[in-house]
This record gives sequence, structure tokens and C-alpha cells, in this order.
Amino acid sequence: MQIAEVAPEQRPRRTNWKRTLLFLISILGPGFVTASAGNDVGGIFTYSVAGAQYGYKIIWTLIPIAIALIVVQEMAARMGAITGKGLAALIREEFGVWITLLTMIGLFFMNTFTTSAEFAGIASASEIFGLSRFVAVPLSLAVVFFFVLRVSSKLVERIFVVLSLVYVTYIISGFLAHPNWADVARGTFVPTIDTHDAGYIGTIVALIGTTISPYMQFYLQSAVVEKGTRANGLLALRIDVVNGSILAIIIAAFMIIASAAEIFVFNQAHPKHQITATTAADIAIALKPLAGRFASDLFAFGILNAGLFTAAVLPLSTSYLICEAFGFEAALDCRFSEAPVFFILFAVGLAIGAGLVLLPNVPLVPLAIASQVVQGLLLPLELVLMLVIINRARVMGLYRNTRTANIICWTTVIVVGVIALYYTFTQIAGSPASS
Amino acid sequence: MAFHDGYLSEFVGRRAVLQSDKQPLGKVVDFLVAKPDDTFPRIDGIIVKTPAGRRFSPVRDIVDVDTDGAIILRSAPSQEPLPDDQALYLISDLFDKQIVDVDGRKVVRINDLEIANTGGTLRVVAADIGVSGLLRRLGLGRVSQPLLDRVPRTLIAWDNVAPISDTNPSQVHLSVSGSRLARLHPSELAEIISDLSAQDAARVIKSLDDETAADAFEHLDADVQQSIISDLGEDRAADIIEEMDSDDAADLLGELDEEQRAALLAKMEDREYADELEELTQYEPDTAGGLMTTDYVWIFPHRTTAATIAKLRDIAPETEFIYYLYVTDDTRKLLGTISLRTLLLALPTAFIHKLMDTDVVSVSPDTSAEDVASTIARYDLLAVPVLDEGGHVLGVVTVDDAIDAIIPEKIANSLPRIVRHHRTSRAAAHADS
Repeated sequence: MQIAEVAPEQRPRRTNWKRTLLFLISILGPGFVTASAGNDVGGIFTYSVAGAQYGYKIIWTLIPIAIALIVVQEMAARMGAITGKGLAALIREEFGVWITLLTMIGLFFMNTFTTSAEFAGIASASEIFGLSRFVAVPLSLAVVFFFVLRVSSKLVERIFVVLSLVYVTYIISGFLAHPNWADVARGTFVPTIDTHDAGYIGTIVALIGTTISPYMQFYLQSAVVEKGTRANGLLALRIDVVNGSILAIIIAAFMIIASAAEIFVFNQAHPKHQITATTAADIAIALKPLAGRFASDLFAFGILNAGLFTAAVLPLSTSYLICEAFGFEAALDCRFSEAPVFFILFAVGLAIGAGLVLLPNVPLVPLAIASQVVQGLLLPLELVLMLVIINRARVMGLYRNTRTANIICWTTVIVVGVIALYYTFTQIAGSPASS
Repeated sequence: MAFHDGYLSEFVGRRAVLQSDKQPLGKVVDFLVAKPDDTFPRIDGIIVKTPAGRRFSPVRDIVDVDTDGAIILRSAPSQEPLPDDQALYLISDLFDKQIVDVDGRKVVRINDLEIANTGGTLRVVAADIGVSGLLRRLGLGRVSQPLLDRVPRTLIAWDNVAPISDTNPSQVHLSVSGSRLARLHPSELAEIISDLSAQDAARVIKSLDDETAADAFEHLDADVQQSIISDLGEDRAADIIEEMDSDDAADLLGELDEEQRAALLAKMEDREYADELEELTQYEPDTAGGLMTTDYVWIFPHRTTAATIAKLRDIAPETEFIYYLYVTDDTRKLLGTISLRTLLLALPTAFIHKLMDTDVVSVSPDTSAEDVASTIARYDLLAVPVLDEGGHVLGVVTVDDAIDAIIPEKIANSLPRIVRHHRTSRAAAHADS
């Protein structure tokens, strides 16, 4: 008999670096990731153009939006933790087939439109780098397909979150632009409403839509479910949601401040040399105080990152959600014949999103902002569904909404609903409601 | 009883009227099943939403279904419906909910339920999970009839449906889905569980018996295992881990934090096995020590083959690996090995020490998984013993665990396991105790 080797001292079972790393990543919780995802191309364009056109006096809208954002995101996170189900599944189980169908049609339409905003960002970035969009968009389609089908989408998400630190440059640029802080403070804390200007109302709808995007609630709730957070993890989850939301709002505010300081103020001073803020190159001027002549490159990098990530994640998660709601097979490692609906929805969403950008003479920035307006218009409908579910004892038990959350959320629904109806009315009426 | 075969969605929402004077009573909103554990559960009555609230009407009170679609009742429904947790309500508990299709081995959503009138009783016979069910629910059944005829009907016979106990977790309900899920191969069950949300996964595991749960657990990824463990509660988790193979159990325990591991080990009833598991968790997972099982057979050299086979017959049903028997002295120092084949073919009166192979290939606990696998491959073995520095047997690494360790998990899960095992106690079986 032969004994092959002699055992040395038993080693401790496993080194701890892996766990430490996992812990560090997990600090970037679902709330944080979702908030970063909110800073997509549509968001960057919307905030920048809002700052460029209306200056500091539009910043105050971010305060009520922030409160609503925190309340709404907390609700989504809580529903995920308590029910262990995604929002699409809950809507199906609580409202049945009809409402689910309408919701999913709306979601698909809205998310596909937003996907086109992401491709608009990619196209803008490529044109800043001197590459035709007719090359860049198909190329990025290929990249997106490769990443989604070959690389784990979790990894993509991590890379994106790290890269989204690029938005911090807006905070630096905002300071370096030396804005008139008194004006900034007045714009932040003194509400001014300009109902005479339909563009202003449209901008507010876009700001709401891009900050509290309906898909973000779906995304966040799914992330919470996937992470397996339970009632006992709610406190940490709430902290995560509040942190993520506040960070998102701060970055949004600085995008507005930097754009206002560099473009709006310039336009006020130079009535003859207006910067129109209708192309990405115009918007990029907001990064001049930081990056100087590289402002365009930095901006292009930012929207390319945001565009590629969201273009990958949005059609994919939309497809997942729809399949989840209707009980179709949905998994990336399935063959096409096993999950045809899933793959078709994903491909169609991506194709339409990319295709819209390639239509002749499509203005990219207005297209992206229009998609955010649509999100703002549909947001109240989503919130109503969420509110009904979250107040059902059968679903939420003791974790139903508190009265405060209900008041804030219903107020959001009503205010956004009224603004949305007013905006839709003025659009249909064809002319701004000038008195 | 005038219901004919059909789908529940065709009846829900209809008006209920009184037979005598066609006076409207309310709307049919749900169907009640008192004993959901039947293979094809019998529908006991309908729930009518009347101005006075929800009322129950037994099936025998249904006279007919009118031409204009109203359901005619013999008498006005007067009983209060049973509370949610004492009966199964087909619409509110099952419509739109997720179930496991045991036959198709996947998680699906119920779009509609097919009912059949068998010998005067109304029974649920199948779940419709397909597009045709969705269209019917949308009220487009008639409009889209040509379309419906073209989409394949996707019905799951009810005896292949395992509800993921949902808002209505009555005990009966649970045991049904548990026993149906137990028909799946453990690796398929594990795949389904991985597809569910963490909370549903825990619900499904809870509905299984310990042994089935343990088999499924062995095929789950570490992170899924952990999240389920924390949901199950320590008592149940300890019971399940006790049923797992020692190598898989040790892997799982090794992933937990120290406090949780100690708590689970303390809850185990088989102290000897708990101690063994604790020792196993000391090894790195990708070494022979981490891969080995302690569930092998050791025998003494001075027995006859007949006596050894008789003993084996006693203990083998409870042992994971019996194709090689390990001959040891009473300190478990390895003297040689003997294969089941040699044992069976030898004369009944032959002595083990005459038959055993003393030229044993072995590994030490810290041999890497790759080296273990290549050793097994080089010598064409089914298992290799793991020895300490004194030559004592610590455990054995079987070929399937060695393969699992060196090929990616996805592929491993889809391979058949060569060693199947059914046992209650996991301590190393020995023919002479």
C-alpha cells in the first residue's frame, strides 16, 4: 500500500478578500445603481437643456421632484422586499390580464422611445468624435448585443456604475464656472412658475419624467427581489434609496447649474450670439470650466457610457418584465425556440430604438427630450397602480403605506397628472396657452 | 348542475339570477374548492358578489346557465364564504399566479383553468398557460377564434401542477405541491428553484420533505442556498443539511458565517455526523478534503466475503458510495481496498485480507481538485481515498464530485450523476460496528 502524500497543517478554509470585495460592491445597493441608471442620455440632455434655456430659476423644481423620487423609490423597494415579486408580476397578480396588457404596451412603447434617446446619445457622441452616426449606431448595436449575450449583465452594470462617476465632473464644472451663487440659491428656493410658456411646462414634464422614470421603479424592485432583501433589511435598503436619490438629484442640479452658468448666462449677455442648445456640442459647453477645449470629448465620453449601458439594459429588462407578467419563458441562456417572445421583444426594442435615430434629419437632442416627456406623461398611471397595490393588506401586510407616504404620493400623482393633462391639452390645441 | 366543460374565465363575471323570478342576485366572482389536495380538485361552490357582500352558493344550487349568460340559482346564496386560509379560491388564489409545471419542468403563470363535468361533479382538470388563455381572458376568445385555432393549446393537466404556495398557504395545499415536485429529478428541481424569487424559492423548499429538499439543495448554487437557509429557520435548515451528502453539506456550511454554522451544527440530531461536518468544513473547498464524502464503507480484514456481503446488505442502502470497500484496522488505518466486483465474484468463505488490493492510490486532504481528478482519471477509478499523514482514512472523493469540481457548474448540473443514494444516516458505514 502506498500513501501518496503527507498532509501539511490544515489551512483555514478560505481567504477573506473575496468577501470583502463583495461587501464593498454591495454598498452600491440597488437604490444607488438605479439612481445612476436614471442619469441616462435622456437625463443629461434634459437637465442640460433645462439649464441652458431657463437658467437657475428652474432648479427649485428639483426639490419637490426629489421628495417624490425618494417616496416612490422607497415604495418600489419596500414592495420588492416584502412580496419578493417584481412590479410587473404584482400588477399581473393584482389587476389581471387587461390592465397588465395596457401597462406592458405602455412600458414597451415608453422604454423603446427611451432606448432611442440612448442611441441619440451614442450618435451625438460619435459625431463629436467625428464618426458618422450611420456607422456608430450599427456598431454600438453590435457591441450591445455582444455584451448582453456574451458578458454577464451584472458585470456590465458594475462597469457602468463605476464609469458613471464621470458625472461628478459636472459638480466640479459647476463650481469652476463661478455661478452667481445668490442667483442659484434664489432659483433653488424661490419657486417661479411660467405658465405662459408651453416649452417651460414641457421642460418640467421632461424633468419629472427623466428623474422619476417609470422604468426605474420596475428596475429597482426587480433588483431588490433578486438581491433577496427581506423586511429585516428594509432600513439598509431605505438608506440606500435615499442616498441614491439625493446623489442623483445633486448631479442633476449641477448639470443645470453648469449649463445655466455657461450657456444661459452667456445668452443673456450676448443677445446677438445665441447658443441654441439643440445639439450635443452646444450642451457640452457646460463642461468648459473643467475640461476647457476637451469639454466636448469629456461630454461625449459621458453620454457614450450612459447610452451604451442603458441601451443594453433597457430593452433587456423590458423584455424580461413583459415575459414575467405573461408567464413566457425568459432567460438569456435559453435557445431562441425556447423563449421566442423574450428574444423577439428584445430585438424589436433595440431595432426600433436604433432605427429612430437613423431616420433622415432627426434632431437628436429634441428626440431624447421628447422621450423623457412621454415618461413624465405616463408616470402618474404607474404611480396609481403602485399605490393601489401597496395599500392592499393582503399583499403588504403590516408594511402598507403610511399616511404620509400616501399623501406625498397622491399629491405627486395629482400634480404630475394635472401638469401632464395641461401640457397634452396645449400640445393638442396646437399653440401655447398665451393669455 | 348545468355547467359543461369549459374554462373558468367563461363563467367568472357572469350575473347570477334566481330561478323563480329571474331576480338578479349579483355577480359570480370566484369558485371555492374545499379539498385542494385531490388529484383533480372538486369545485364545491361559487362565490357571488351580492349587494350584501360575498356569498357562497353550493354547486348543487346551480340550475342552469341561461342563454344570455346568466347563471341561474335555485335559491339566493346566503352563507358567508369560508375564510381565505381554509379553502382554495380558484380565481383569487390561482388566476395570474405562478405555478411549477412538473411535466414541462418550468415556472409558468396560470392564464385560465379548464374545468370538466365528470359524473355530476365539477372538477379542475388543467391549467391553461398559453396565449389562447390570455386571449380568452382579454375577452377576445370569440373574435380571435381563427387565431386561437392556430396557436397550440398549452394546457397542463392538473396532476402536473404544483402551486407555489402563495397567498393561501394551507397545509394541505403545500403537501400536494411538495409531493408533485418530488417527482422531478433533483437537478431539475434545483433549476426551477433557481428561477424563482428568493422568497418563492424558500416557500417551495418548505413544501418538500427533508430528503427531497436535501437532494435539490445539493444542486443549487451557493448564493441561492444561503438565501434559502436564512429563510427556512435554523431547525428546518439543520434537518435538511443533515440529509445532504457530507461533502455538499460541508461546502454549504463552509459558505456561511461562523455564528450561523455553529448554530446549525448545534441543531443537528446526529451528533456524530455534525462533528464530522464540522471537521469537513475546515478544508478548502477546491481540495480533496473539501470534495470528499465521509459516507463510504469500511470493513475489517479478518471477515469472510459472505459475512461482509451480509453486513453490506444491511448498511449499503444508507451509504452514498459502496463500489469500493475500504479495509482498515480498528484505528481506521487503511490496509487495502476491495471492489464490489471482487467481493461478489469471490468464494463466500474467502477472507478479505487475502482478496484486498494493497497497492492503493490515495490523496491527501490538501491535494488540489485538479490533481484529484487527474489521479482518478489516470487510474480509471470510481473514487480515491483521502488519507491523513498516518495513513488513516478521512473520506473518499467520488468521480462525480471530482468532475463537478473541475468543470463549470452549468455543465455539471446537466450531467447525470452516477452515484445515486438514499439513506437516512450519513456517518461512515462500517461493516463491523
